[in-house]
Amino acid sequence: MLKIKEGSLQHWAIRIVGFALLALLVIYIPTQSETARIGQFASAFTLIIAAMSLNMVLGFTGQISLGHSAFFGIGGYTAAILIRDHGWSPGYTFYAAAVIAFVVGCLIGLPVLRIRGAYLALVTLAVAVLFPTLLRWKKLEWLTDGAKGIDSVKYDDLPVWPILGELKGRDGRAVFSYWLGLLVLVIVYLVCRGLIRSRVGRSLIAIRDNETAAAVMGVNVTRTKVLIFGISASMCALAGVLATLNSGVVTPDGQFVTLLGSIIFLLIMVVGGAGTLSGPIIGGLVYVWLDNTTRGIGTDSSGVLGFVFGWTDQSPATLILGLALIVIMLFAPTGLMGLLRKLTRRIMTIIPRDISPTQ
Amino acid sequence: MSLLKTVGLRASYGQVDVLLGIDIDVSEGEMVVVLGANGAGKTTTMRAVSGTIARSGSVVFDGQEIVSQSAESIVRLGVAHVPQGRGTFSELTVEENLRIGAYIRKDSIESDIARWYETFPRLEERQNQRAGSLSGGEQQMLAIARALMSRPRLLLCDEPSLGLAPLVTQELFEVLKNLNEQDGLSVLLVEQNANLALKVASKVYLLETGQVVASGSAEAIAGDERIRKAYLGG
Ligand SMILES: Nc1ncnc2c1ncn2[C@@H]1O[C@H](COP(=O)(O)OP(=O)(O)OP(=O)(O)O)[C@@H](O)[C@H]1O
Ligand SMILES: [Mg+2]
Repeated sequence: MLKIKEGSLQHWAIRIVGFALLALLVIYIPTQSETARIGQFASAFTLIIAAMSLNMVLGFTGQISLGHSAFFGIGGYTAAILIRDHGWSPGYTFYAAAVIAFVVGCLIGLPVLRIRGAYLALVTLAVAVLFPTLLRWKKLEWLTDGAKGIDSVKYDDLPVWPILGELKGRDGRAVFSYWLGLLVLVIVYLVCRGLIRSRVGRSLIAIRDNETAAAVMGVNVTRTKVLIFGISASMCALAGVLATLNSGVVTPDGQFVTLLGSIIFLLIMVVGGAGTLSGPIIGGLVYVWLDNTTRGIGTDSSGVLGFVFGWTDQSPATLILGLALIVIMLFAPTGLMGLLRKLTRRIMTIIPRDISPTQ
Repeated sequence: MSLLKTVGLRASYGQVDVLLGIDIDVSEGEMVVVLGANGAGKTTTMRAVSGTIARSGSVVFDGQEIVSQSAESIVRLGVAHVPQGRGTFSELTVEENLRIGAYIRKDSIESDIARWYETFPRLEERQNQRAGSLSGGEQQMLAIARALMSRPRLLLCDEPSLGLAPLVTQELFEVLKNLNEQDGLSVLLVEQNANLALKVASKVYLLETGQVVASGSAEAIAGDERIRKAYLGG
């Protein structure tokens, strides 16, 4: 087994090679893949961002939220309304969505985060259930267009990014979504990482571990929880903006705007590894891959799978997806990230830098 | 001079009154011990002082009424609480636990970390280990060192010897005694091991069902035949 010192030459070499491979992959996908594949990655990015936002609240701070689909929806609708009714350029809607979701997140968090455990789950679940109803509400129809939803971004509304060359039609849209999603993802990831590695991050984990002890250390538990809930809500809203820009529509029945969305974010977070920075990335990619591969099963009735699932004309995709996720959780109860760590630890260990203080 | 003074301190869990009016006085630089049977309300008294439970009556720290202040502002005044059962953050490393102990401080804390590593060498050896993977004794050392990172004037220490080997307990009490005598740290200590506690403390309070039933200097309490028989096991 290899033993590598943190910050040593080998450690840097591994890091650089890993980063280079990742960069190659990231460039390879939008240049060499078919449009559908690029689009799948683009939607994976939005889901990863949403799962990352949930991870800040649930994974790191230990506060469950089933209401994040509402924040996703707030982002989606903010973008749609501002672009369609007010002629905003798509880029600025990110800022507006983030601010609105932050305020709403804090307002919801203020009363809600005083309760714990199953009660918190129930109250946030109510938020998720109420949100689509609110969107369909007659008195808000002037804003949300009710049950019909909003067709907002037209294909030719896409801003031009000089480095990407001219992007046209369906292909161009997918490539644009890919890069925009990746950009937002990287920003959100860096913000999360910065938060977690700071004094704030320590206080979040302390709250998750032992709330009373955290308070005794001088951590203002309520304020910290509410703020992180607000920040998380605004990150999730960014994912919603991306989804609207990708698809051009947003409706109250949209998968991620309803409770199902919250559950999918939760699944991605848990499958990837709760309370780890990269967990949601792995979880999101695996989820979208599983979702897309299982979706075809059963619809064409050839082969073994067709034989097993051919008896129903409904696609068994959701069932298979659920089973696959159960299997993953059985083999990797700490998520895929935990499994990955265990496997790499067999090959090599990184010895942390000696951080004992020098006076 | 009195550093901490509680008068008629009351607290309850829901409908159940647990503290029925506690009067305790800790002078500057003094080490005071609270004795009492299980369920007497010792832990609740500590929590009422540090602000981690709703309470009424009067708690004056350093001349300031703190009975309605929140836990996080009471730490800032200089009261550090080592809760019963330690309460170290198991997912953080030893070093991170120490750093969060200094959460309220804005100045440099490196020399403090070095100092507590010197006092507890075992913590230095395990500085990058998760606190959850430490032994019980090591966690107790960490909990005390973490509390001291805030540079408190008063240390509330709730049964530090719980579950520790006699030798480790001895070590810990040595450390507390040194802190008290050399650094002038005031300590309010809850302890089941009465004999050990009476050796280090100068003043004793005896709690029974939420009330102080006896108090006095350590010698007086240790010398009182009836109290010895009833509370201290011979
Ligand atoms: N969280 C709680 N909810 C309800 N009742 C509680 C709670 N904590 C303690 N009590 C009750 O309050 C009383 C005093 O408890 P406390 O923990 O202060 O006792 P103690 O003197 O510290 O005992 P021990 O020596 O066992 O630690 C007990 O009767 C206990 O049952
Ligand atoms: Mg107790």
